[in-house]
Amino acid sequence: MTLTLKMKPKTYDFYLMVLTCAVLAIIGLVCMYGIGYYTYTNETTPQWTQTSMYGDYIDSMNQYIYPFVVLLLVALGLCIPKRIVPRQSLLASGIGMLVVTILIALVTDIGTSLAFLLAVSIVVQAAVMVLTLLGRGGLTYEREGYFVQTGSSMLHLGTVIFVLDFVSFRTSDLHLSVFWVATILITIGTVLSFYPGEAGSVVRMLLKGRSS
Amino acid sequence: MSYQEYLTARESITTLGQPIITVIFIAALVLGIVSIYHILSSDVRAYRLADQLRKVVTLLLILGFIIIAWFHLRIYQTIELVYPPELANYLSLNMGVTVTSVRFAVPLWIETEKLYFWTLCISLFLGLTNLRYDFLKTQMTALFSSSLNIMLSVFGVLTYLTSNPFKEPLPGLHSEITGWYQAVGAGDLNILYGALYQLYFRIIYYYNSEYMWTHPPMLFIAYASLVVTFVGCVFMLFRREKIFDRISYNHAKFGYLLLTVGMLIGYPWAVVAWEGKDWWWDPKINGSIMMWVLYSAYLHTRIYLKRRNMWRATAILGIICFLSLVFTYLLTYIAPGIHAISQ
Repeated sequence: MTLTLKMKPKTYDFYLMVLTCAVLAIIGLVCMYGIGYYTYTNETTPQWTQTSMYGDYIDSMNQYIYPFVVLLLVALGLCIPKRIVPRQSLLASGIGMLVVTILIALVTDIGTSLAFLLAVSIVVQAAVMVLTLLGRGGLTYEREGYFVQTGSSMLHLGTVIFVLDFVSFRTSDLHLSVFWVATILITIGTVLSFYPGEAGSVVRMLLKGRSS
Repeated sequence: MSYQEYLTARESITTLGQPIITVIFIAALVLGIVSIYHILSSDVRAYRLADQLRKVVTLLLILGFIIIAWFHLRIYQTIELVYPPELANYLSLNMGVTVTSVRFAVPLWIETEKLYFWTLCISLFLGLTNLRYDFLKTQMTALFSSSLNIMLSVFGVLTYLTSNPFKEPLPGLHSEITGWYQAVGAGDLNILYGALYQLYFRIIYYYNSEYMWTHPPMLFIAYASLVVTFVGCVFMLFRREKIFDRISYNHAKFGYLLLTVGMLIGYPWAVVAWEGKDWWWDPKINGSIMMWVLYSAYLHTRIYLKRRNMWRATAILGIICFLSLVFTYLLTYIAPGIHAISQ
């Protein structure tokens, strides 16, 4: 713990990236398991999707994925807000969040705990996005630049909203509306993150057009 | 009468397209051989010949695609399903849709046309990459260009051998159209109702849906861009030259953007079209998520290329990503589920 807190910023970012990639790779492995299970079961029990076995499969896949989604959200929570909060406080709050999430999962269920974590993450990511849009100083990113920063915060906020939509709104009337909000944020965020120069040119052109 | 016109158009696409795809096959095969020869000998003449062959393949692919587009236009113009008043009333009362007739606006990348479209996109990306970079500058970049040509050659040959869109154009759609006209010919209203009722959903949620005009092409363009990333990552394994990373990353960015948006816009369609069906965690969806998370990981690792061992790790991850892409594409053909080609 002490060692972690003393890490240099670059080392901190690097290990955060390693954690993120490891979690993403595990999610990939869970998907691979799903492919294998679905194909094998279809071979041995034709029409199994018409039985309760299919519902059990969906539940088990959700159960396998959820812990890694939690870890991914924690990693995001440690990464993006580092632009506004000191690393030590961030690590402490990250661990605190994880503990609370686990406690809620033990008392209620994993869906509720995940919804809690997602709600907190959305508040944090939204705050980061607003501060970035306003161009507040003090925000440090791996790659500098206003559009990269804005894009990155939009992309991550969109991702969190997307996960929340699937965890908490899947049967709600708001499901598709929330989905489109997340999709728009992810799309604009990705474009701004990947093509900041071009985005800047377009914005400058639009502003020039408006002023003339 | 209109069915006869459709059949004439179908024959024409075979007559016009078969020679073109045969030449594409031969040119792609020769392109592959010449590119391999260039890699082995570093003969500049072989490089230049391969470059000319690549252009020929690209032009022929574009020509073939224009013929495919013309055929789809003819389908739209010639085939019109006219609803008997009783069925139109039934649809209006029970589903709230007012429709008296419907035409097919078939997307240009379904059935056997998928691989053709992917190959066409690869050839266009290779053309753009060759315009942007001077690959003859160094021996290594020339080898890289030849490797890209080999990929195009492989796709060209595979298209001809496994997914020739001119040999038997759109077999699934053809059997549906033929089935409809047989039902009309039978004169039995019950058979006609059955055929039309079934076709209605196929047309609305598949052939004519905006989703089919956006989701698959975005993914195929992304796949084509990621082919270039793959070759770049293979070269990164052997040479620590910045240009390979730059080309890989530029194409990965574009591919990832289209992959993300393409996958996302498929979801609202699935919610409506597959309502009540068993599509959650189906193999193709699992594969797509796996591919997406792996490419996300690749883009993250790339930020730390300068750190020890990260160059190689990124290159290996880029290669794994592409293998997962090919696997995901093949899942439609080899795995069960709602995306399976037999469904």
